[in-house]
Amino acid sequence: MPLGLLGQKIGMTQVVGEDGKMIPVTVLKLGPCPVLQVRSQELDGYDAVQIGFVEKPRRLATKAERGHVSSKVESKRRKRLTGAGVTLSPKAEIEPQRFVREFRLDKPAEQAVGTTLTTNEVFNGVKAVDVIGQTKGRGFTGVMKRQNYAGQPAAHGAKKVHRCIGSLASLASNRGGGRPKKGRKMAGHYGNERVTIRNLQVVRVDADEHMMLVYGAVPGPNGGVVMVRPTNKKRKPQAAN
Amino acid sequence: MQHPLLTHAEKSSLRETPLQFDIGDTVDVHQRILEGDKSRVQIFNGIVIARRGAGTRELFVVRRIVGGEGVERSFPVNSPKIEKVVVKRRGRVRRAKLYFLRERVGKATRLTERHEKNEE
Repeated sequence: MPLGLLGQKIGMTQVVGEDGKMIPVTVLKLGPCPVLQVRSQELDGYDAVQIGFVEKPRRLATKAERGHVSSKVESKRRKRLTGAGVTLSPKAEIEPQRFVREFRLDKPAEQAVGTTLTTNEVFNGVKAVDVIGQTKGRGFTGVMKRQNYAGQPAAHGAKKVHRCIGSLASLASNRGGGRPKKGRKMAGHYGNERVTIRNLQVVRVDADEHMMLVYGAVPGPNGGVVMVRPTNKKRKPQAAN
Repeated sequence: MQHPLLTHAEKSSLRETPLQFDIGDTVDVHQRILEGDKSRVQIFNGIVIARRGAGTRELFVVRRIVGGEGVERSFPVNSPKIEKVVVKRRGRVRRAKLYFLRERVGKATRLTERHEKNEE
């Protein structure tokens, strides 16, 4: 998987495309993201880059969060290890970060701890991206909204069951089991889950404003945190024009 | 309040010189239409009865009577396909949405003309 950036969903709007058609776009603010840690095959068993997004006031950060980004924070462990002559892994020497995520990589990372990533480095010439976000939570939801079931008739003798699920199973549907199959779709908690939307076309990148416009919708509320990475899909994205 | 980045994203899609017309004006909307590789201009004439939305999503609604039937078309204010909007007659109205015209027929649909006092 390629390296991406952390960002924020700003909102949706329309922009004019090449032939004068209006294109629906989502505005994303991406980065700048400092590299906090580099995972490697020897040390961690996998290759990844850990990046942060948005500074957090020191008074709100835990000591662990502060120590993760700075070598100035004193701890017994640091004292003991440096006293024994062990060189500790490098720190980014920045303020604590509000959001910290890792991007897994197929090969060893080229980025060094302490560098700052922007759209310039990560999305140079990228035509399509994957966007990962947390969808809006909808609470306990019925089957009509959650599973797109049709419900039951409004009339013809239907009483108080207009939005109900209907039959759960028959004697024959589970090889004579006489009970519903495993994985039966029912009402329940809907939303507030991690969703990846793949192969969204990049409409525009504005490196000065750390802004990217992608074609179509992105999971989560306005202001929600998203992870964006170049897509590995071969097929061309659904075109904006 | 709209996020400043949204405004920034829309900026390049906005019209450089805004269209000059008001609610209640009778206008000609010149719209460029692409047919294959040729393009021509179609004119829609009527009264502007509403204007809504903001930024690139701003629309205006033009109403006219065609063959005794009311026809309403909404146009995006910032669409590059709208070449120009020519004001034929100014109407004196006291509200922003002229939906009351939908219930009126014939002579009752007329609006009083507005004359600018200091027109140059």
